[in-house]
Amino acid sequence: MIGGKGAGPGHFGASLRGMAVDAAVNLYAANDSQITLFDAAGRLRRRWSTSQPVHSVAVAGDGTVYTGQIRQIEIFDSAGKLIRTWRDDTLLGRVTAIGFVDGDVLAGDATGRAIRRFDPGGRFRNNIGRDNPLNGLLIPNGVVDFGVDAHGIIHAANPGKHRVERYTPAGELLGHIGHFHGTDPAGFGGCCNPTNVTVRDRIYVTEKAGPRAKVYSFGGELEAVIASDLFDANCKNMSVAVDRHGRVYVADTVKLAIFVFEPVGL
Amino acid sequence: MSEQFTRRNLLHKAARGTVLATLGGGAGFLVRKAHGQVVWQVDTARCLNSRLGEVGMAACNLCTTECVVALSAVRAVNEHSRCGRCNICPAYFNITSAVDERGLPGEKLCPRDAITRKPIGKTDPEDPANNFYDYLIDEEKCDGCGKCVMQCKEPLGLGSIVLRIRYGRCVDCNRCAISRACPKGALIQVPVQQALR
Repeated sequence: MIGGKGAGPGHFGASLRGMAVDAAVNLYAANDSQITLFDAAGRLRRRWSTSQPVHSVAVAGDGTVYTGQIRQIEIFDSAGKLIRTWRDDTLLGRVTAIGFVDGDVLAGDATGRAIRRFDPGGRFRNNIGRDNPLNGLLIPNGVVDFGVDAHGIIHAANPGKHRVERYTPAGELLGHIGHFHGTDPAGFGGCCNPTNVTVRDRIYVTEKAGPRAKVYSFGGELEAVIASDLFDANCKNMSVAVDRHGRVYVADTVKLAIFVFEPVGL
Repeated sequence: MSEQFTRRNLLHKAARGTVLATLGGGAGFLVRKAHGQVVWQVDTARCLNSRLGEVGMAACNLCTTECVVALSAVRAVNEHSRCGRCNICPAYFNITSAVDERGLPGEKLCPRDAITRKPIGKTDPEDPANNFYDYLIDEEKCDGCGKCVMQCKEPLGLGSIVLRIRYGRCVDCNRCAISRACPKGALIQVPVQQALR
């Protein structure tokens, strides 16, 4: 376990909303109004403040750290120094996820219920997940989350439809995995699941009520369930990340702790 | 001459004090009632069915079983501004029931079938997941059993459905039977102006 609620070093105060793992297996936590950086052994390396409460974090290939906030993205160098800020009252509502594809930056805008694609200079290019009968992703849980696979395909959680949808960077819907089921763990239960998603060699998701993480193949086959008693039953919108060793990091949003699970049999 | 301090005298004074205090308190209460200044209300932050943190338990139905009014004066109310208008609403469906051919749970949750839904906005007849839904509670059927409230609350739902006392039904008992039974003290008296807010 990493973090936990508290005021001490390496603890989180009131919120833990996002996570990212870089190529060197450093773990970045988006908590409160700061970014907290842990090394591969879970030791606190540094933390720095953001100008607002932070809702998401992502690390680009060059080590640049992007932080999602309300109506803005703050971009830091790897040492935590602010490089620049993108502000947009229209396209950046509450930025609950950030990713990268083809040199562009993707921002999950929970207010607009869409993923916004920007070029490296911060100029808007197109929406993803917006062009549908619902005018956006169906997110009663209040979070847009997505992952980008090695082929540049965007896998976005659409919890109100109980699906993980696949999009091209241009926004074309390619298909989806998942369906509603109240008892079969292969399906997604409740009103709106999965809430969070990330991808690497597989699709990793988290669900709320009851909180758990699950692993799917890209074809939609359920491969593993992490239904840990460690998670607080009132958890929702648990950020999930995976490192290059296949370790799964899940953020408990009530205990404000990051639980790390080793892959077994995957 | 000082008054003689006797047992009879003491009891008489105590009885008179008790009567006066009772009459005074009761009169005060009745005056407040006569002026319509206080009413009973469900405190949703205390109610077991809606208070956060209480998960994985059966709904409390004491508002149904204890109220002296037929079917109870308490009703489930959907605060539409907070409703997610979900396709799979855990307050509408029994979400653990078998899934039907449309991919929806086959059973409804409400034992009195008091909740109905209809798609709103631009609707997609082919895929129900592409629609938003309005969930309406028929107050003539609802008996305030709280099942939908328990299912609607966070983290499963958004907590838009809560229990409310309907003042047109409440007979305004001086000692509300539900309040005496409620284990969480969720039936409280509040000034009318506060209730109206």
